[in-house]
Amino acid sequence: MSEHLLQVENLRTEFPTRDGVVGAVDGVSFYLDPGETLGIVGESGSGKSITVLSIMGLVQRPGRIAGGRVLYKGNDLVQFSQEQLQEVRGKDLAMIFQDPMTSLNPVYRSGWQVGEPLRLHRGLDRPRSLREAVSMFRKVGMPEPEQRVQSYPHELSGGMRQRAMIAMGLTTGPSVLIADEPTTALDVTIQAQILELLKKVNAEYNTATILITHNLGVVAGMCERVMVMYAGRVVEEGPTEDVFANPSHPYTWSLLRSLPRLDRDAKEPLRALPGLPPDLTDLPSGCHFHPRCPFRIDRCVDEYPPLAAVLPAQRAACWVTQAGVDLNRAGAIVG
Amino acid sequence: MLWKYALRRIIVALPVLLGVTVITYGLIYLTAGDLVPGLQLNPNLRPEDIARIKANLGLDQPFLVQYLNWLGVPWLLHQVGLWPGAVRTGLLQGDFGRSLLDGSPVMSHILERLPYTLELTSLAILVGVIVAIPMGVVGALRRGSPADHFLTSLSVVGVSIPNFWLALLLVLIFSVGAFQLGLPHLPSGGAASSVNGGDVLDRLAHLVLPTTVLAFGYLAVWSRYTRSSMLESLSQDYVRTARAKGMSERRVVYVHTLRNAVIPLVTLIGLELPTLVAGGAVVEIVFSWPGLGRLALERAVGHDYTTVMGLTLFTAVLVIAGNLLADVLYAVLDPRIRYT
Amino acid sequence: MLDPTAGAIEAPVAQSIGRAGRRARGYWAESWERLYSDRIGFACGLLILLFGVLALAAPLLSAVVTHHDPVRQNLANTFALPGQFTFPLGSDELGRDTLTRLIYGARVSLLVAYLTVILALIIGGSVGMLAGYFGGWLDTVLMRVVDMVLSIPSIYLLILLTALAPRIGPVSLNPGNPYSLAVIIALVSWGSLARLVRADVLSVKERDFMLATRSLGASNWRLMSRHLLPNVLAVMVVAASLQVGAIIVTEAALDFIGLGITPPTASWGNMLSNSQVYFYHSLWLVILPGLAIFVTVLAMNVFGNTVRDAFDPRLREMR
Ligand SMILES: Nc1ncnc2c1ncn2[C@@H]1O[C@H](COP(=O)(O)OP(=O)(O)OP(=O)(O)O)[C@@H](O)[C@H]1O
Ligand SMILES: [Mg+2]
Repeated sequence: MSEHLLQVENLRTEFPTRDGVVGAVDGVSFYLDPGETLGIVGESGSGKSITVLSIMGLVQRPGRIAGGRVLYKGNDLVQFSQEQLQEVRGKDLAMIFQDPMTSLNPVYRSGWQVGEPLRLHRGLDRPRSLREAVSMFRKVGMPEPEQRVQSYPHELSGGMRQRAMIAMGLTTGPSVLIADEPTTALDVTIQAQILELLKKVNAEYNTATILITHNLGVVAGMCERVMVMYAGRVVEEGPTEDVFANPSHPYTWSLLRSLPRLDRDAKEPLRALPGLPPDLTDLPSGCHFHPRCPFRIDRCVDEYPPLAAVLPAQRAACWVTQAGVDLNRAGAIVG
Repeated sequence: MLWKYALRRIIVALPVLLGVTVITYGLIYLTAGDLVPGLQLNPNLRPEDIARIKANLGLDQPFLVQYLNWLGVPWLLHQVGLWPGAVRTGLLQGDFGRSLLDGSPVMSHILERLPYTLELTSLAILVGVIVAIPMGVVGALRRGSPADHFLTSLSVVGVSIPNFWLALLLVLIFSVGAFQLGLPHLPSGGAASSVNGGDVLDRLAHLVLPTTVLAFGYLAVWSRYTRSSMLESLSQDYVRTARAKGMSERRVVYVHTLRNAVIPLVTLIGLELPTLVAGGAVVEIVFSWPGLGRLALERAVGHDYTTVMGLTLFTAVLVIAGNLLADVLYAVLDPRIRYT
Repeated sequence: MLDPTAGAIEAPVAQSIGRAGRRARGYWAESWERLYSDRIGFACGLLILLFGVLALAAPLLSAVVTHHDPVRQNLANTFALPGQFTFPLGSDELGRDTLTRLIYGARVSLLVAYLTVILALIIGGSVGMLAGYFGGWLDTVLMRVVDMVLSIPSIYLLILLTALAPRIGPVSLNPGNPYSLAVIIALVSWGSLARLVRADVLSVKERDFMLATRSLGASNWRLMSRHLLPNVLAVMVVAASLQVGAIIVTEAALDFIGLGITPPTASWGNMLSNSQVYFYHSLWLVILPGLAIFVTVLAMNVFGNTVRDAFDPRLREMR
């Protein structure tokens, strides 16, 4: 059945805390096909990072994967031993992080670090891995690659560091690249460049990409599909165009509504989402979003809705839209 | 670039060094400045004679003149022809003056004892580092485990136990006690036996107890430091990056974490050089170890103030040099430090 | 469309306010509560207090409880074994009761330690505050002086000072008495305090309330005593409680090597220096005074850590 490159099924990741067990990722399912770009959006703390870290097997103690499967090319990574995971990480699945300054080791030269996956997984010696690092630097548009491999991270600019991180992820030609907010820590102009680079890489190497971002504009420009998370669960998922045109979960709807748009009537006020994200140790009954939801019906308070098809390609976990309500139209009435 | 950096650090250290000489010389001047050993005891000398002798020695001169003399400034001037007549060398020429007790150069005493102190402290530092780093790493990797609690308690004990008492206890157990029980026992003091002394084994046996005492104190501090520095380093983003590259946890710890964690430890060791010499002094005294600390005590008790002053100055120079070395080493180890 | 600035989902600010909704209380009250909640640390504090009380009550205890004088010799009862009714912890080579001498020793150790810390706080605190507050050349000069003091290994400076002290003419600074000894040790140990206080002053100085008060025309003296000092006090309390233990060891070491409190006055350090000779038949003379030092210093270090965590969690790494 698993024709997908990566398929996550009912993944659950927990953290024991003083106030009880926190399900940071709570029954998340999705898939990724070769070469496609999937966007994950959601408020801070909604479990985006923990989801992808779980896929990589990088959740640190005391956190643990409590259930579900992560099928990569048909193999369940959750069942993998540490040694087996080490084989996959950095070779088939690569990951780049939010802050390129702190994500590179300050005491090693950038070329040494970029070449390291090749030494680990392809058995290259140092000189050859360094040559590869130079050519990788060239591909990611690093200026003066021969000099830059000799630089320490602190000698590179923020944009150059993130290019180095991307180069490091791509050296081994992974089939999945996971980018967790790769541009949040960068200047606006550099952000655009890095996103362009990720787009180019995706097209050139046919690397499937998971892009985590807070920025719906980025999703619209980069991702074929988008997945929206709220309180550790997927609340909506579908092709980006469809989701943007026809948000089928009130949370997505309010996110999109708070997005400034050129085609929108200037008189219409911008609205931020009211209320706070829920406390994971003390989740609301029923649908976790109901306390903040303008479309709430009685059933939402009692029962969590399943993630079900609302439109042919689009799934959402919402009683209201599953009953056939169009949020864009209803929204005009609710205000 | 590194050399420039080192040079700049030396230049900054010079006024401090000069200040130390003023402090120590000032102390002696104020308290024992006109002391000439044996002079008061001689019944044949009238007060006028004493005054004349002191004048001849330059002891009636104002402080500044005496200080400059002691520093050896006139000697320098004499060399370039700016000072008439022959004058004595001074501190600047490495001349720490003469002992009030036996009139021999202070420097010769220091040089005679220095190797012993260096032998003891460097061995103790080595042992301390070799034990402390693995201790700290284990504590950090198994945070909260019984092993971690044990190591933490051990280091609290190590910080709190007076080293001279620990020394006495060890002597009690491993020299006196073992001897009484007819077991092989360790020497309780000195650097070598006079009977069958001199061979390597004998000297090592004499080193065991003092080294253990000193090293225990160091490793108590350094293992704590390694542990917290290791924990800090382990929580850094680059460790996650390293894991994401797919390497063994071993490699994550030893290649990507430990090096970052050890860098600050180097500075700490450098900055603690004062306590290294200081801690060593009392241990030397307990074990009759013929090093600088014991020399200082012997001479202090014997009212040989010039020697004690020379020792104080000399160790201060060592400390300043140690701090300098630590700074430079830190700059070499940590690429983030710019040489400014 | 690919505009990275548009429509970022803002993290809700309200999170930091905290769901627990902790009541805002005074800094000292909250610190006190944290101190109180650390059981082991608090117990150590009580132990120190108990030792303090015993030390203060030494003459009373010796008259009423032990019935021994700390210095009077009793050559008929030398090396009494511990455990007897008359000599619960044994007696020494001159027949003096060990328990009584230990209690009197606590008097000396604690007196010197606290006096030293107070003096060192006064010197180091003033130097640090002046340097940090006024900055400029005064800062440079004072901190170079601190560098000098810190670069002389303290034990050598102490040996030099204790050896020279009796020669200092008009002010009789005899290291054999606790007050002079405290002065001498304080003269050597204020350097690191000055550095700490200065660093803290620099950070406090930049805070808004200082600038505001200054703009109201408050005098330097008023600013320092009324506004700076209370804020720097936390660092001083913490530093002091962390240093007491080390000072007790220093004092004991000086007594032990014969440069501090001189016999017959009992001190934990000089009790140990006598004991060495009698290794073979009176273990307790070696073990008990050292144990007294060790337990006291251990309690003080643990308590010091607790105080540090309670008063300023930011200082966790301070030693
Ligand atoms: N070490 C931990 N201990 C306890 N809970 C944790 C831990 N790490 C994460 N969590 C919980 O997991 C939830 C999800 O965290 P995650 O980092 O995945 O959020 P995110 O969606 O990536 O947010 P952001 O946009 O801020 O990166 C958080 O709300 C937090 O409560
Ligand atoms: Mg995240």
